[in-house]
Amino acid sequence: MTAVTETAGGGILPGLRRLVATQEAVLLLALVVLVIVVGTINPRFVSERNVQSVLLGNAYIAVAAIGMSMVIVSGNIDISVGSLIGVLATLSGSLAVSGVPIILCWLIPLVVGAMVTGFMGLLVAYLRIPAIVVSLGMLSILKGGLISITGGDWITDLPEGYHLAQMRPFDIPMPIYFMVFLTIGAAIWMRYSVTGRSIYAVGGNAEAARLSGISRERTIVKVFVIHGVFVGIASVLFATQLSIIQSTVPPNLELTIITASVVGGVSILGGVGTVIGSTFAAVLLAAIGSALIFVNLSPYWLRAVQGILILVTVLADILRRRRMSRRR
Amino acid sequence: MAETNMGPATRSAATGRRRFQFGHEALLLVLLVVSLSVLATQSDVFLTTANLLNQGRLMTEVAIVALPMTMIIVTGGIDLSVGSMLGLSAIVLGYSWQNLGLPLGVACVVAVLTGTAAGFFNGLLVTRTKVPPLIATLATLALFRGLAEGISEARSVRGYPDWFFRLGQGEVLGVPSQLWILLVAIVIAWIVLARTTFGRSLYAIGHNEVAARFSGIAVDRCKLAIYTASGFASGLAGLIFVSRVSTTRSDMGTGLELDVIAAVVLGGTSIFGGVGTIVGTVLGFVLIQLLKNGLALTGVTSDATIVVIGTVLIGSILLTNFIGRRHRGDG
Amino acid sequence: MLKPVALATGSLLLTSAVALAQDRWDGADDLPVNPLACDGAAAAMEPTPYNGGQPTGAPDLSGQQITIVDVPKLVGIGYFAATTLGMQQAAEELGNVDVSTDGPTEANIDDQITVIDNYITQGVNAVLYAANDPVAIAPVLRTALERGIHVVGYDADAEPDAREWFINQAQFNGIAKAMIDSIVAEIGEDGSFAIVTSTFTTPNQARWIAEMQAYAAQCYPALEWLETVEAQEDNILSFNQANTLINKYGDDLQGLLGMTSVATPASAEAVTQAGLCGEVAVVGLATPNAMAPYVNDGCVESVVLWNPVDLGYAAVHVTRALVDGDLEPGDTSVEAGRLGTLQIINGSEVLLGAPFIYTADNINDFDF
Repeated sequence: MTAVTETAGGGILPGLRRLVATQEAVLLLALVVLVIVVGTINPRFVSERNVQSVLLGNAYIAVAAIGMSMVIVSGNIDISVGSLIGVLATLSGSLAVSGVPIILCWLIPLVVGAMVTGFMGLLVAYLRIPAIVVSLGMLSILKGGLISITGGDWITDLPEGYHLAQMRPFDIPMPIYFMVFLTIGAAIWMRYSVTGRSIYAVGGNAEAARLSGISRERTIVKVFVIHGVFVGIASVLFATQLSIIQSTVPPNLELTIITASVVGGVSILGGVGTVIGSTFAAVLLAAIGSALIFVNLSPYWLRAVQGILILVTVLADILRRRRMSRRR
Repeated sequence: MAETNMGPATRSAATGRRRFQFGHEALLLVLLVVSLSVLATQSDVFLTTANLLNQGRLMTEVAIVALPMTMIIVTGGIDLSVGSMLGLSAIVLGYSWQNLGLPLGVACVVAVLTGTAAGFFNGLLVTRTKVPPLIATLATLALFRGLAEGISEARSVRGYPDWFFRLGQGEVLGVPSQLWILLVAIVIAWIVLARTTFGRSLYAIGHNEVAARFSGIAVDRCKLAIYTASGFASGLAGLIFVSRVSTTRSDMGTGLELDVIAAVVLGGTSIFGGVGTIVGTVLGFVLIQLLKNGLALTGVTSDATIVVIGTVLIGSILLTNFIGRRHRGDG
Repeated sequence: MLKPVALATGSLLLTSAVALAQDRWDGADDLPVNPLACDGAAAAMEPTPYNGGQPTGAPDLSGQQITIVDVPKLVGIGYFAATTLGMQQAAEELGNVDVSTDGPTEANIDDQITVIDNYITQGVNAVLYAANDPVAIAPVLRTALERGIHVVGYDADAEPDAREWFINQAQFNGIAKAMIDSIVAEIGEDGSFAIVTSTFTTPNQARWIAEMQAYAAQCYPALEWLETVEAQEDNILSFNQANTLINKYGDDLQGLLGMTSVATPASAEAVTQAGLCGEVAVVGLATPNAMAPYVNDGCVESVVLWNPVDLGYAAVHVTRALVDGDLEPGDTSVEAGRLGTLQIINGSEVLLGAPFIYTADNINDFDF
């Protein structure tokens, strides 16, 4: 693929080229191609209802991937995110059935989420334990703890008005608003706020960041706390999507979320990536999952094709970046 | 994920590092002895030869895969696809024996070769395209599992001949057969990592890849070798696993990567690269297995056990960091 | 430019994927199927000689306190929380049984083996299991028998000689008939439906689907079977997959079948949220509490009852009878407390009963 010659002359507007040469644009184009190809084969794929279903059912992944992207940009990772979503969703549902005001059932998971991840952030930042170790340990603790306490009973009879994710202001499902506005908000915050920019600095070059007066420790703790809030929001969307809550840890959810972040162009080496990319990637991955059913792919090969597509997207990102650096 | 996080403080002199490492191994050993003695007082069947050998049998797959994983993490890499490579090898074993009609012995070889090839593919991705290992193997985790599912068409293969079970269920000289394989693997891995130039290059790569490259180390070739070794080990573990449980399913080995990484990290190998030993890893997987077993024998349920394991994982690294820092401070 | 290359590869992949012939998954595991007669006439049950295993040198503990360990496929899900409840009820009723539940935290064949292995070492009087894999679990169960430990299965069986008895909630072909008959009652003999299952590798689900296929082919040849999708044991994934099926087939989809206690309520939820109640029928295996909202709303007419509480209850009673010598090879029935007399079939299986269908009239009578 590296053999592709550089034919694009100087005639193209440089701004446009810069825009097109981002991972976000690659993902968006991939999404467009997917929609066109699959939509031609089976027009129902692009029906309003299916588009809504894909977005609605995966918005919580996109929201969690926003926080995850920040953590990864800061040069860390959180493997416990799936377990945490399971714990917080169960917490939210349990509070709701025990008669706690609904608004608190939505907010408490955010606070608890921030406390749990904040604790991890403290261990990572001040005690210098690698994030992968802390979150691997936390995964076990949260998962084992959840099973010990709930035993996996369904939570039913949730009160009227609790189901945030089922609300449809202006006939658009609530999770889509969350996904869109949180992505835009987080993107602006990361790009323009001092703290947001310091995340890139810490992830990109901790030493340089320190010399320029940014506290690595405090930035990392902040990132983890914010990540916890996003995980909290994701867990509330997760809990309120259906009329019953499963009170278990969703299988492989952490891998799905991390995959969305890295496919979105967030570099695992830290310092690079945007939350817009991760949201596009979450949507793309969900759309691929749906599309493969629409095009009647043999169900046995579904996961293999998904794997290949993930690999292709990741490779595209890497090769694009290499080209960029060579051009410079 | 990590060179970036490695401040100059951690790049201390080799002697300091060795002491740090020794500190962690000693700590693990103390932890192991303490928990062994405590658990032994709680259960009279825990510290028996039969039980211990049996635990060895149960942990072999994780242990074998943990050896090359140690080397990979020492270079600052990681391999998340080990569970999927195990599953793929297992499926290829069953498929080539039952559907392609190969003799079982040949099918075993084909299966291990498949694992090796999968590892080689990981190595190529990591060295040629420069995709960070975590991402590359996250993608192949999905891909290899998908291939296993596709090839098997979700059918399980059963009815292996009796001789095949000797590997996973039999004994040689009163010791479970696979433990002998594990023993040989440990010795080889220890020699390679601790006593060869190749091993030293791995540490060099983990410390500073650019410097390693400039000092003439064939970085890419080293990496290719260890990722391939990881595939080989996963394939071998797949073979042993199939023989132990007498069946083949495409979901075999799901989640193996986390168990393996937990053992390696508990063993003191730094996820940032440059630090870690085979002895540490061995202590790591033995400690996890015996903790799980001992707690179960004293009536602790599995869900509570994983809470304990998680706490030990964080706690032991925490403790070592304190000790390590004090050592460096004093020295 | 690189982008076009990547994109071309992507679309090429997609088109080639389309070209792959779609083989609809039919649960094929190459085992023989045995569909029931269409009119429901009970198949002549051939008396099969006892084909279970026997513990060697099990101590005589009749009437004495015994310790039982229950190892489900995994802990921490509603279904096995309910079997545990039933077991505790039976233990309380009997008074001389101590039963505890411990199992893997994921439905993983290896972890389950390890858990059972630990209990064999620790020493218990009996092991109850629900197997993640019938073959993989067999060696460790045989070890248990060799050590004089009684072994009884429930929910998901192992190879018969690796255990003494198996409590069968309902026979595979019985479930298949109940499922297909229920869906046909709602969508007609020429209706079309799709299935949401856990994974293709889960043995029970695979057997049910294979039997459903055989029964449908024999009794309702015009029934159109559209597709089967995997959804793990994941609530939201099941919901998403059900949505995808609804959106893909539109009016061509008249029914959804849920094969797990997770997939069925999630499918009902998808139909409810799509506003298609009455147009897309939902039938499936499920527990009552999870389905009550949808049945009471009228969105779901009938559900094939999973009664894990009775299943766990029966398992403990059978184990007690076994230890007391009240259940021996060759018996044709066994007493199980409040469940009365249970029939023994296929040599060594205790049958809980015919599948029970519940509707809006009786769903609120249950609470689990």
